[in-house]
Amino acid sequence: MNTLTSLQRKAIYVGGIILLIIPVIFLGMPAAPAGSGNASGSAGGLLVRLRAANDLGESSLGKVDPASATMNLVLLGQRGLAACLLWMDWDEQQKTKNWGKLRSTTESIILLEPHFTKVWVHQGWNLAFNVSAEWDRVDDRYYWVKEGAKFLQNGVLLNERYPELYWYSGDFLGKKIGRSDEWKQFRHFFRDDPDKEHYPSGLDPRINPEGKDNYLVARGWFKQANDWLDNPRGKEQHVMAKILFRSYPTRALLDFASTLQREGIFEEVCRKAWEDAFQEWTTVYGAEKYESDAGLVHLEVSREEEADLTKAEKDISDVRKKISFWVGRYQDMTNYRYWRTRALAEGEQNTVEAHRELYTGERAYLQGNFTEAKQLLVSGMTKYEKMVNDYPPLADDDETIEEGLMGQLNWRACLLLDQEPVPETYPLKKMWTEKQSHMQRVEDDFKRRRRNASR
Amino acid sequence: MDFDPVPYDLVGATTLWCLGLLIVSAITLVTLTITSILTVGATGPLRVLAEIRSCAGDWFGTSPRRLGALALLTIRESIRRKSLFVFVVFAVLFLFAGWFMRGLPNDSTFHVNVYVSFVLRTISWLTLVVMLLLACWGLPEDIKARSLHTVVTKPVRKNEVVLGRILGYAAVGGLVLLVMGVVGYFWILRQLPAQQRSRLVARVPVYGALTFLDREGSPAKEGVNTGDIWMFRSYIEGNTKARAMWDFQNIDPARLQTAGGGALRLESNFQVFRTYKGNIERGILCQFVFVNEARKIRAPVPAFEVQEFRENLHTIAPELTDEAGKPVNLFTDLIQDGNLKIEVRCLSGQQFLGVARPDLFIRLPDRTFAETYFKGVLGIGLMLFLVIVLGVVASSFLKGPIATILAVFVLIVGRMARPFLESMTAGEIQGVGALESLYKIPAHINPSVQLDPSAGVKITQAIDSAELNLLWAIKFLFPEFKYYDMAEYVAKGYDVPWSAAILPSLAITVGYALPWILLGHVCLKLRELESK
Repeated sequence: MNTLTSLQRKAIYVGGIILLIIPVIFLGMPAAPAGSGNASGSAGGLLVRLRAANDLGESSLGKVDPASATMNLVLLGQRGLAACLLWMDWDEQQKTKNWGKLRSTTESIILLEPHFTKVWVHQGWNLAFNVSAEWDRVDDRYYWVKEGAKFLQNGVLLNERYPELYWYSGDFLGKKIGRSDEWKQFRHFFRDDPDKEHYPSGLDPRINPEGKDNYLVARGWFKQANDWLDNPRGKEQHVMAKILFRSYPTRALLDFASTLQREGIFEEVCRKAWEDAFQEWTTVYGAEKYESDAGLVHLEVSREEEADLTKAEKDISDVRKKISFWVGRYQDMTNYRYWRTRALAEGEQNTVEAHRELYTGERAYLQGNFTEAKQLLVSGMTKYEKMVNDYPPLADDDETIEEGLMGQLNWRACLLLDQEPVPETYPLKKMWTEKQSHMQRVEDDFKRRRRNASR
Repeated sequence: MDFDPVPYDLVGATTLWCLGLLIVSAITLVTLTITSILTVGATGPLRVLAEIRSCAGDWFGTSPRRLGALALLTIRESIRRKSLFVFVVFAVLFLFAGWFMRGLPNDSTFHVNVYVSFVLRTISWLTLVVMLLLACWGLPEDIKARSLHTVVTKPVRKNEVVLGRILGYAAVGGLVLLVMGVVGYFWILRQLPAQQRSRLVARVPVYGALTFLDREGSPAKEGVNTGDIWMFRSYIEGNTKARAMWDFQNIDPARLQTAGGGALRLESNFQVFRTYKGNIERGILCQFVFVNEARKIRAPVPAFEVQEFRENLHTIAPELTDEAGKPVNLFTDLIQDGNLKIEVRCLSGQQFLGVARPDLFIRLPDRTFAETYFKGVLGIGLMLFLVIVLGVVASSFLKGPIATILAVFVLIVGRMARPFLESMTAGEIQGVGALESLYKIPAHINPSVQLDPSAGVKITQAIDSAELNLLWAIKFLFPEFKYYDMAEYVAKGYDVPWSAAILPSLAITVGYALPWILLGHVCLKLRELESK
């Protein structure tokens, strides 16, 4: 039978608590940095040291959000339930297009799941791709694309060791801004934000503080992703094969150069962009080493190496055969040879001129200057033919074929309007006769451009 | 507005209520009579009659003074039970609210919406939980602690105990609600950036009835479904004869003229669906045509580009020109006998315009935000009162925990499951009854497949039909709590309407509170207090 009084029992409980708390304090003592009254600093208690050594602390993933930490603490283990309820709310708000509340709920969900990277990607994507598409005005759409990108950037701050979040940030800014239906407006807004009330300078400091091209900003994010991939403290990425993942900074340069052409910018800046892209593709990305069954291989093969590998095919040396196989496989996987040839070709003055003349020829045709258009188009087609002949791999490239066929359609339309017959021989005739399978698509695009020009 | 504020049918609801009360009273009386005969014998009905007379006597002999004393006792007890600690939780929530409401879009409408919703929802949930627990545990605790014995030894009637409790808790709840409401109001004003405070308005809309014409110009029940998962809006095709037509009735031209400063103020909130990209730098074109069918006048006004999810305010000058180029006056020529018809058409070919009834309305002069906000608070107050009644009545015949479970159950069903019950009993949900499903599911038969009308099938379907009818009756046991939720009106900048929100809330409160209080009185009267 318990003969202790209530006071005695309480004293024992308090004593027990104190007894247990002392080792906890010593084991969990936080680390103190050197300086500011503690010259040598302290590594902290055993638990803290073990946590730091094994990267188990929340702070090892990125910045710790106090609101998130408080929320999780206050919920007393009911975080999962609360998150489920919020996701249900979010779903209803998405369905009923309640965008303000949806944005707020998204933030609440992420407070509960700050290190769940898939949630960051899913929600960022939803804002940038799904919510933006629900709005009709193009500047509203751009606003939501930025919201998605900013949201993902917050995720990067809280999860700084995850390369895939950096990659997705780059992907949003590159792909969504540069390739969506509204790419012309989005790319313009990227350097001159339509929201002058909040960004009088025309630059949103969180998205594009330096007023760069979207692909160049995306490149910065891709580079950071690669840096964290190389960093031993960084986490694994699960977006795609490493060899593809690492190509993105250079791919951003290639996209940048290609988009300048699409916008009709054919000055030195475009040629230089292709040249830079070629340099980086062959000397930086192409020189990187990747693991294979044949050991470490790289994609850029020098003439000596190529000769050596060719010899190996005749030879029965297993190692060299294997290397040849893996280099070829990786090159196919990354479309390495195509981009190499394309960048090399586009860096030449003849190619730049060909694109420029085909582009300005089309403009002249759409403006009704048929004589000028014919001259420009024929000259552009001649140079274009030279490019295709100089770089045969481009002869089968869809983009190259479509541009060549479009030039010819414009030229033929000018001839028709001037009631002139198509001559027996003309530049790019071979492409016209052999690539008719592309014609339906090119004709649709041709009609669309004419329609847009007549508005 | 993203929901349709349909005016409440008070006459229909009152008739149904009277009928229901009559039937339930008759069933109760018959059951009591039979039970009393079976248990007591021939004198049973007389005893039932005596109890009824006694209950009625209680009500006629109710003393306001005793009621006041009991209510005061309840207030003191609530304070002693630290109910006012809810203010601490409230203060903490509001202190840190900014943490949890970051990342809001720049658009000021979103800020107002989120802040107002947050305040009203927080107040609603906090007060609800506290008052529910207080109401459900008050009487059982008194009985357990035998403090109620002291009360009942005084010349106090049982109905006064029930009513006194309800009034006491209502006073505490009212005070808490008022303080929170006022603090919340100033919090919203303080939290919103100065330039966004102009968004704090209470628009007063006048809605019309919506009808459609299809692409051939024939009357249609609704527009086109463009595949939107949210079926709220129906779409009309651009550059065809498809029209959405609003008929506004009982409108006073002089009042409209005064409201709009000589012009008519309309507001629209349409949505668009593009079947092809088109010119993305330009919006989809929409046009209003004012129609007087009796005088065959059709007066179009200049088309405008639809701006989705924004306030599209249209000020229509009274001087218009009809389709023949003849000048007409909007207020004298187009409004006839208080009726105004507006046709809406989409001018962009192969594009669609999404409309719902509340998407176009005449905007009367705005009321102040405080007006609509405190109407929203009143809605919470009415709900709180009903929950208090429910809690006190449940605790008059159940112990604390069970009374709480019962009250929470009624609350959850009334708030969440009632719309489902409504659509199921109205036949809006496709499928078959429980018994038929029991056969079809294991047999892998699709619900839409008709079974051969054998005798067994007919019996099964008859039982299922009876179940559905029973469910139709059972649903009325649960109040429709959706009417109390007026936060959406306030948050979206609308005045809380009398006919679609306040009137139904009042009717539901009175309609449920009256029989529940009678039930509580009878239960407490028949309860053996010594049985804890």
